[in-house]
Amino acid sequence: MTAMNTGGSTFSMPLGPVHVALEEPVYFHLTVEGETIRKVDLTSGHVHRGMEAMASQRNLTKNTTLTERVCSLCSNSHSFTYCMAVENVLGLDIPQRARYLRVLAEEIKRVASHLFNTAIQAHLIGFKSLFMHIMEVREIMQDVKETVYGNRMNLAQNCIGGVKCDVTPELLVYILSAIDKMKPMLEEIRDIYATNSMVLGRTKGLGLLPQEDALRLGVVGPVARGSGLKMDVRKASPYAAYPELEFDVILHSGCCIHSRTTVRLDEIFESFRLIIQCCKRLPGGPTIASMRQIRSAEACARTEAPRGEVFYYIRTNGTDIPARLKWRVPSYMNWEALGVMMKDCKVADAALITNSIDPCVSCTER
Amino acid sequence: MQDVIRNNAHIIKNLTLCSETGTVHHTTDSFGNAFHWFRLGTPRHLTRAAGLLREAGARLCMTTAYNRRHLSEPMQEICYHFELAGVVYNLTVTLNGEWPVVPSITHLFANADWHEREMMELYGVNVTDHPNPRRLFLDEEFDEGILNQAVPLSIMMNGACTTDLWERVLKNREKLS
Repeated sequence: MTAMNTGGSTFSMPLGPVHVALEEPVYFHLTVEGETIRKVDLTSGHVHRGMEAMASQRNLTKNTTLTERVCSLCSNSHSFTYCMAVENVLGLDIPQRARYLRVLAEEIKRVASHLFNTAIQAHLIGFKSLFMHIMEVREIMQDVKETVYGNRMNLAQNCIGGVKCDVTPELLVYILSAIDKMKPMLEEIRDIYATNSMVLGRTKGLGLLPQEDALRLGVVGPVARGSGLKMDVRKASPYAAYPELEFDVILHSGCCIHSRTTVRLDEIFESFRLIIQCCKRLPGGPTIASMRQIRSAEACARTEAPRGEVFYYIRTNGTDIPARLKWRVPSYMNWEALGVMMKDCKVADAALITNSIDPCVSCTER
Repeated sequence: MQDVIRNNAHIIKNLTLCSETGTVHHTTDSFGNAFHWFRLGTPRHLTRAAGLLREAGARLCMTTAYNRRHLSEPMQEICYHFELAGVVYNLTVTLNGEWPVVPSITHLFANADWHEREMMELYGVNVTDHPNPRRLFLDEEFDEGILNQAVPLSIMMNGACTTDLWERVLKNREKLS
């Protein structure tokens, strides 16, 4: 790492593009005064894959597979929202059983995603045993994914008109038993995050994003909810089986790293509530509705991914290849907030603050 | 459908005044969520329409720039997607095909910054009065339109058995001559 004198008492310091908080490239230019960050500028684009251009060369069915590969931890949310956009443009109504099965897959992914971010935070703090413990607990959810869907990351559960994989009653019992096993372990982890002096010392009151800045920058997901903004697509415009299920929107108003982590940890328990309800109330019937004729039309759809709102827009031209498919991932809205969060913080906290927005570079750049 | 419109009658009425006549329509998804669609006659109306949404407390969700080449028209369009109280408002702006220009709305919605920079570098749309008109993903040293010169790997690899690559070569020769 080299620092460059920019005149006066401030220095310009490059950070990245590799190894800031994740194994994904993003390049920060920090203007520092001694140990303190005064200004943040970021450069991205290292992993731009031209996926939107690829989407307008593939048919609607193939795009389900493509969109699932936009992001790894939110993979299911992308195919989910994409399928919803296509269903909206075709005027397709999906079966009741498929609505529940979609929520089930989405919430299983949310638990695994939130646990991954929390584990990385422990790793960045230097709390290695906690990091390993959370990863071990997360492995139970990974096993659930592999057992039920056959894969640990890309579940390939969503398809246009419904879901691909039906879940048998035996598997529902297995999912419930996995949650029973995880719950006490997570309560313990939540307790560590609430009381451990090492965790609190590095996260509480640091990386502040005041509510008015959160509103101004239009941040989404746990970043918004950690600054006290009530924003959850599952409640604001309910979709799939969410209107019929009971869960609470988790809000914390600490505006700091710790506040965002607490939102994620509490949300895991809400996801458990949703998974249990899905398993117990799963209606019978078909899991897929057949596709209809493709008209020239436009439609959009949005859902709440682990990192926040995902937005899809599709325009069809009467063929099976979309004229335009555009999506916006939650991280895209959250990056600019880092400028506010890092200001007047220590250089040593830059990685922890970056991790607190649960960033995803690959999906930001597509 | 009438219920959906009644809830937001005031803002819909004002946005309709900014739109071309007969272009406003309303849709719902199968879960009853509302989407309102407006088409602005000229990019000049954008600032006013976006201002109305700003006053109402809406949030910018996304912007979509696209070519209408797939629909056999040379024009470009931009669709601005806003959200207010769970309802999505879409404003579509048709751009001049020769010289696509649109005013910046970053002074109204801070999060339009990235979207507008992306439109500038990937869609060749000129955004006027942008407070920070730097490249977003591509390095500043790249020439404009550099990505158009690249041949996709799939076209290059299938060059021997399909006509795509050859047609590209012919097209470039026409351009150069």
